[in-house]
Amino acid sequence: MSAQPDAFTVPADPDPMSYDRKVLFVAGAGRSGTSTMAGLMKIMGLHVPQPEVEPDETNPKGFAEPAWAVEHHSRLLREAVVQVSDSRPDAWFETGRVSTREPERIRTAEWLEGHFAVNPELVVKDPRLSWFLSLWRVAAIRCGATPVFATMLRPPSEVVGSKQKYYANRLGSAHLAASWLNMLLHTERATRESVADGGRVFIRYGDLLDDWTKAVMYTGEQLGLQHILHAKSERIRDAHRFVDPGLRRVSGSLDDLGLPKRLHELVADTWTELNKLADEGGDTPEVHEALDQLREGYVELYEESEAISRSSVVAAEQKTRRGREKPGKEGAAPVEAGEPSYAADKLPHGLRAAIPPGVRRGLRKAVGRER
Amino acid sequence: MNAIRNPQGLTNLEGHTDFDITWPWNRPGGLRAGATAVLRVKDEAPSLPFVLPPLLRATDHVIVVDNGSTDGTPEVAAETAAKAGLADKLTQASYPFEVARAGAEHLGQHELSVHSLSYFYNWCFSLVQTRYSWKWDGDMVLTTEGEVSLSDLTWQIGGVQSIIRVPRHGLYLDSDSHGYLDLGLRNAEEWGYPVGPDFVFTKAFEWEIRSTPEQCRSIGLPQGLCVELKYLDGDEFAHWTDPESFATSWRNRRKRREWAVFHALKEGQLPPGVHEITAPDGVHIVDHVTKTWLPRAPRPLEVG
Repeated sequence: MSAQPDAFTVPADPDPMSYDRKVLFVAGAGRSGTSTMAGLMKIMGLHVPQPEVEPDETNPKGFAEPAWAVEHHSRLLREAVVQVSDSRPDAWFETGRVSTREPERIRTAEWLEGHFAVNPELVVKDPRLSWFLSLWRVAAIRCGATPVFATMLRPPSEVVGSKQKYYANRLGSAHLAASWLNMLLHTERATRESVADGGRVFIRYGDLLDDWTKAVMYTGEQLGLQHILHAKSERIRDAHRFVDPGLRRVSGSLDDLGLPKRLHELVADTWTELNKLADEGGDTPEVHEALDQLREGYVELYEESEAISRSSVVAAEQKTRRGREKPGKEGAAPVEAGEPSYAADKLPHGLRAAIPPGVRRGLRKAVGRER
Repeated sequence: MNAIRNPQGLTNLEGHTDFDITWPWNRPGGLRAGATAVLRVKDEAPSLPFVLPPLLRATDHVIVVDNGSTDGTPEVAAETAAKAGLADKLTQASYPFEVARAGAEHLGQHELSVHSLSYFYNWCFSLVQTRYSWKWDGDMVLTTEGEVSLSDLTWQIGGVQSIIRVPRHGLYLDSDSHGYLDLGLRNAEEWGYPVGPDFVFTKAFEWEIRSTPEQCRSIGLPQGLCVELKYLDGDEFAHWTDPESFATSWRNRRKRREWAVFHALKEGQLPPGVHEITAPDGVHIVDHVTKTWLPRAPRPLEVG
């Protein structure tokens, strides 16, 4: 009995340009291993749209972030009056509202389309990305591409500790923990299956550092990323050179953060549920329901806190208004004629003129100042 | 007395106590997070298999209220939801009273009558248990982009008090594979509303109107997210008292446009702004337009 000749035929190398269009969005809170994940995807052959953000001391191995996406998100966040670490549940509507604007949808889809000409499998990552997943999903649809999502998970105690260490964040750990909750609970909601999507995965940062091959192949199989499925040896060697378990330089427990009791409980329970999503077969309706309840719990806690601290908001508003009203008011230092009272007025004219008019208008608007 | 001045609920003029209205935010437990789409339907059996699946996927819940259908609409709604694996997200109800048609008939009805469009709407929306609602029609089909946009807004809206306007385009069907898409009119109506005492239905001249607080936010979605099915072999204007009802006011310009396009197409003419579309073999025209033609059409979409 002889073997069929076809059995010995060596299959031709797949042509990457023949792969279906797919865009992987790497989401999650900042300092959660999103750069490591996106960097690995790049090494496997997915394309990070160029140019990228330069590495710095906070992330010596590089960010794998398209500079355009960072600028795009930063501008949209300003327009929506939302901060990257915003803990307000309502902030999701503000960024969602901006994402429905036709010019932004066109701009985002056109940018994506241009990069598909380089490679049909793209990876887009930015710590601000979660705020605009709905915009990117639409952009992918318009390009005839399938959006897929990888969300990185890192214990909240480590994320908060890392942010305080690397970004010299003077905000309290309670605010940072609330921001983490807001970000993760809503990122999970935003990446639930929609008709256009090609799937999602949740990856623990610890698992990625412990055995990146397992985590990356799981991602490739779940999301059908051809570059991973067909990666060659040299790329695998490169990935081993890239992943440094020493990157995880901050550890600690939730107790160390000294959070208010209810916030502590919400953070701990959310972390428990999110962890289930990272287990194979763990992305189930039961976990979604538990996370829905936790999201509701967070919204309730935030609304209560907001109501309790209303006096602080009113006082801050009054202080800002009084600062604008200038001379003669009680407690306000008298301003001499011609003395600049706004930070912008203290800048030399030449430097002010170098700021694009649109940005100047935005800054004036942000401080509530008429021209 | 009208709907916006009744804090507890509404009692109808005819004394049908089983159809009195208790505002849902007054019920024990109040409202939960999420968004519900409410459809008031009459003889929409042919459209629901296209309308319901994307809507069920995009929202937390869908309520279909039948108003005297004779074509098996409730059965088709149930079958469609079951086929999509989303039967748990569908609630059906029946409203047994004849409702005044838009136009003169509506104007003649008191808004607390069970025959009033306003009362009918308030009764339907009193079934909602979520904090946000979408008013939807039994012939409105979301495109792929429309579905993901609605789906995201459904959770993003949270407790924000904002109205959402949704543009739609008439899709006139003359067979399973051939139709006409009207992009000749810019029209976006308010379909998304918070659920609460500031947002109840009351009476306008030709139809109902939803009340709003004085300073209310409103956002509009882009063009190309939703089509409204029109059957060239059907009676698309049966819910109007008569064509004279929409002959004069600027408010009725959409209806006048529909009348003109419908009759032009029946006579074999292609009005400006209307695209003739043929689906590929084996693909239904509605699927082709909502899943391929509109999602991939160049942006900005040329409308109006």
